Amino acid sequence: MNLTDEITIPGQRDIVFSNLINPEILKQCIPGCEELIKTSETDFTAKVVLKIGPVKAKFSGNVTLDIQSAPAHLSLSGAGDGGLAGFAKGGADVELIEQGDDTLLRYSAKAETGGKIAQLGARLIESTAKKLSKTFFTNFEKIMTGDS
Amino acid sequence: MLTVTMKVNGINSRHDVPDNTLLVSFLRETMGLTGTHVGCDTSQCGACNIHLNGESVKACSILAAQAEGAEVTTIEGIANGDTLHPMQQAFHENHGLQCGFCTPGMVMSAIELVEKNKNLSERDIREGLEGNICRCTGYHNIVKSVQAAAEKMGG
Amino acid sequence: MITLAEDGKFLAGGMTLIPTLKQRLANPDRLIDLSGCALTGIEDEGQSIRIGAMSRHVDVAESAIVQKSIPAVADLASHIGDRQVRNRGTIGGSLANNDPSACYPSALLALDGTVHTQRRSIASEDYLTGMFDTDLEEDEIVIAVSLPKPEKAAYMKFPNPASRYAMVGVFVAKFSDGVKVAVTGAGEDGVFRAGNLEAALNADFDSAAIADGVISSDGLMSDIHASAEYRAHLICEMTRRAVKACR
Repeated sequence: MNLTDEITIPGQRDIVFSNLINPEILKQCIPGCEELIKTSETDFTAKVVLKIGPVKAKFSGNVTLDIQSAPAHLSLSGAGDGGLAGFAKGGADVELIEQGDDTLLRYSAKAETGGKIAQLGARLIESTAKKLSKTFFTNFEKIMTGDS
Repeated sequence: MLTVTMKVNGINSRHDVPDNTLLVSFLRETMGLTGTHVGCDTSQCGACNIHLNGESVKACSILAAQAEGAEVTTIEGIANGDTLHPMQQAFHENHGLQCGFCTPGMVMSAIELVEKNKNLSERDIREGLEGNICRCTGYHNIVKSVQAAAEKMGG
Repeated sequence: MITLAEDGKFLAGGMTLIPTLKQRLANPDRLIDLSGCALTGIEDEGQSIRIGAMSRHVDVAESAIVQKSIPAVADLASHIGDRQVRNRGTIGGSLANNDPSACYPSALLALDGTVHTQRRSIASEDYLTGMFDTDLEEDEIVIAVSLPKPEKAAYMKFPNPASRYAMVGVFVAKFSDGVKVAVTGAGEDGVFRAGNLEAALNADFDSAAIADGVISSDGLMSDIHASAEYRAHLICEMTRRAVKACR
């Protein structure tokens, strides 16, 4: 599954970038995030509860960031294990483009799911992923505008 | 654990089962009534169809606790002694089964279908059995069986 | 009881929840069975009908009141899932779950119905907040649904042959003050009103008024069963058929 989109975030690129890799802020933005711990400069472990319709599955996983071309570019990859529910892995490339006082975030993400979630939820995975990323950026935007 | 009480094939039954016991497990494992089959585990195939208070339902998608106080009829409870139910007899005479795995569910669905609708067209029967899947794909003779039984049952 | 169950779930007919539990895709610590809560019964309230939340699909399909007042809703209920699902599944459960492919949400939206809970009444537009999402609080249950009677209406669906869920379902309702069209099974964020189709039908309530291409594939679901473009095509075709079937 591929997901591409772009969104304009109010705020200068440096600030947007540093917030985007700040575990405290990420935790508030990721839907269902119960725990996000920074284990090194570029590694995180996370516990996320995915709640969609009747399904409620807890995923634990890790995320690795590549910040070599900061703040113009950020890439991340990760994998999560939802136990009996299945697993998910994927990555995303994020481009940050300066637009005056705002920053245009252009991202393309790839994800794969396996196990029961993939088997039973096939018709919903793409919609769910879009919904989750939309929620993430809505939350992020709120934090950037100090609206939360 | 919880105690469930229900009338199964006319006999009052009371058993202690784990809270998450499905009705189909209660029937098969606690009661030993293995005529009700488990075909798919995804609530689609209809092999587990039984009658709950006279209506056909999927026993795999109901908790035993939800059937508390209910009257349950399984495939074992429809014959009259050695005399088969007209629906069973019709399946027998019209070769309405191949491997036989889906048959208990088909028969239970078909009985309710005929009891509720007296004038069934072939299309009505095919639509009425859409919750029952036969992986031998022997639907044609199943429909013929139901038509034959409907006549005998006063349809 | 409700506050005791920190991670509990309400159980209506169980036609979605029990299969989910069987797959271990949810693990609530308690289930609260609503079947004993006297939430059944269908009443004619003049301008609308009121359907108790625990009314099963078979109850709605066979109700003389529904058949007479809004035959489209009786017809919709009579084609949900299969007979065994209709003998258990409920209107309240379906609306609380708001599956993006379920039939009932389209009727609620096109008829501009009202969802009644134990503490308030919610208009359809406010109630349906997106795929699998409603305005319900965690401890709030649907107790009944009011559906206004249209001049005429029809529901047309193109079911997935395996799951019986709507790949596209269109509910067309004509009221004295205009036409409402709600589409289920197709939108990425669940059921939605199709403004383009409504405008075309408000100008001319005729199946010929629906031109191909009036619905864009933007925002429609794509999966192994149908592409977004195919779903856009199906929406137009199901709308034409619904308009022809309106009564």
